[in-house]
Amino acid sequence: MNDYQLALQQLCDSALPTGAFAHSFGFETYIERRVVFDEESFGRWLTVFVGQQLTYSDALAVRFLYEGGDLAELDAHLNAQLLPREVREASAKMGGRLLEIGVEVFPSPELDAYISLVREGQAAGHQPLAFAVVARSLGVPFEAALAAYLFASVTSLTQNAVRAIPLGQNAGQRILRKAHDDVAAAIECVRHLGWDDFGAVSPGLEISQMRHERQRARMFMS
Amino acid sequence: MSGTVRARLTVSPPLVSASGLETEPGAGGGARPLPTIASSSWEGRARGPLAGSATPRPMPDSAAASWASDCSPMGALELRVGVRGGRSVATHQYHQGALRVIRPHYLDGSGQVCYVVVNPGGAYLGGDVYVLDMEVQAGASLLLTTQSATKVYRTPGCFAEQRMEIRLGEGARLEMVPDQLIAYRDASYRQRSHVTLRPSSSLVLTEIITPGWSPDGAAFKYQELRLRNEIHVEDESGAKLLAMDNLLIRPPARDVTGLGFMEGYSHVGSLIVVDRRVDQALADELHTLTDPREAYTGVSLTATVSGTTGLVLRALSNSTGELHRLLSDCTAYLRREWHGQGPIELRKH
Repeated sequence: MNDYQLALQQLCDSALPTGAFAHSFGFETYIERRVVFDEESFGRWLTVFVGQQLTYSDALAVRFLYEGGDLAELDAHLNAQLLPREVREASAKMGGRLLEIGVEVFPSPELDAYISLVREGQAAGHQPLAFAVVARSLGVPFEAALAAYLFASVTSLTQNAVRAIPLGQNAGQRILRKAHDDVAAAIECVRHLGWDDFGAVSPGLEISQMRHERQRARMFMS
Repeated sequence: MSGTVRARLTVSPPLVSASGLETEPGAGGGARPLPTIASSSWEGRARGPLAGSATPRPMPDSAAASWASDCSPMGALELRVGVRGGRSVATHQYHQGALRVIRPHYLDGSGQVCYVVVNPGGAYLGGDVYVLDMEVQAGASLLLTTQSATKVYRTPGCFAEQRMEIRLGEGARLEMVPDQLIAYRDASYRQRSHVTLRPSSSLVLTEIITPGWSPDGAAFKYQELRLRNEIHVEDESGAKLLAMDNLLIRPPARDVTGLGFMEGYSHVGSLIVVDRRVDQALADELHTLTDPREAYTGVSLTATVSGTTGLVLRALSNSTGELHRLLSDCTAYLRREWHGQGPIELRKH
């Protein structure tokens, strides 16, 4: 067994209390528009979300951090490129929880440094970076860390969809199985991207995330 | 860029720049790497659109080298606007190649000067690089537009590119409302705008991106569009990143037409506003203004940096006219509420 295996599992468990259950990252807007309404249509949204938001924003942030990118600069870029307010706030909120949990169970000097930046107002504390700092300090190799991060994100989104649409529990598992391909594609794709791709999220996802702010009846904070 | 001798046109006597931005040593103008582009360059042009940089922060040296290896730009334009006798005037103006401005207009009594950028070549082709450098000095106000749409035709081998550097001084105002960008079949285009402004500056940028005509009537025949607006707020403590608007549409790589991407639409419109007066009430107002329209529109606010906030509006539609009307409604609202001005009325067609 790897030294990091159980730590990584704990970090990516959907029971990790980061508040992921409260965020749809815009799919609730598609539910309201009745564009997402069943297993197939949610699966299509999830494929785009993984291929766009999770690849061009989250996965690139993780990769750049693993490559030794400057943490404060990466954090500032995420904060500037997450243009829909709710998504930016969700990322910082969940990241903040991850920092709090991390410092108790997986403390490291790198994590302390990130927490200090956040306390001093030099960083917002975004989720993919908080995760990457902890995973890297545990010695998790890049691809294993990225796969675990992406699949954990996909899992919490799918669980949220199961409650919100609603879908059956088995449908949720089928969606997750199909999402293996999306996660594999994202890991392959992110290797070929560069600095200029960072934050290039599709207009459709962004508009839906922005419109969520004004949605009347809603279950999710984003 | 080589140090070729170029004509320099100065509208009023050239001034010694108080901001230290007139960095070119000696004559020629433009024969130097633009400072901010050098600090975060496009990745090497020759490597093609998919080539990625492995490092998040390109070293200034290599970036400068990649800039220096570029040939002369197809067109270059420098414009500096300051206040003289109560109205905004060009205090420095320089153009080279296929870019120039036509004589300034004053559309109302506000003192805001309007410049129209002209591309006499009519279109951007593969390998073309256009470089624009705009400065609005303290208290000045510039309305910048184009004479006609920016057309990008087939770009075999190498993308066409526009790089724009914008600096706004204290209380300076820039409204940039270009005509639409039209990307034709097999076009690849990159546009990078780098804005540095003060907390007291006011910025309004609009953009409309449309697919060009193709024989089979399909909308997404272009290869790749990259439009990147990077906005920094500068105060006594230095420059901080406020907003990074990064749009990438690459139709051959994936189906961009549907759910989650273009949502069945073909045209994208954007509005960016950065101003101390930007707040949630303004976002709500622009939502109310744009929501009844046919376009699919979202509005949100950036984080607040050094006391100023950005507003971003994004809209999808199937028509340039619809996006133009929607964005005009927004700019007209801002002009009326903030400046007591009427809507922009340009008779250029």
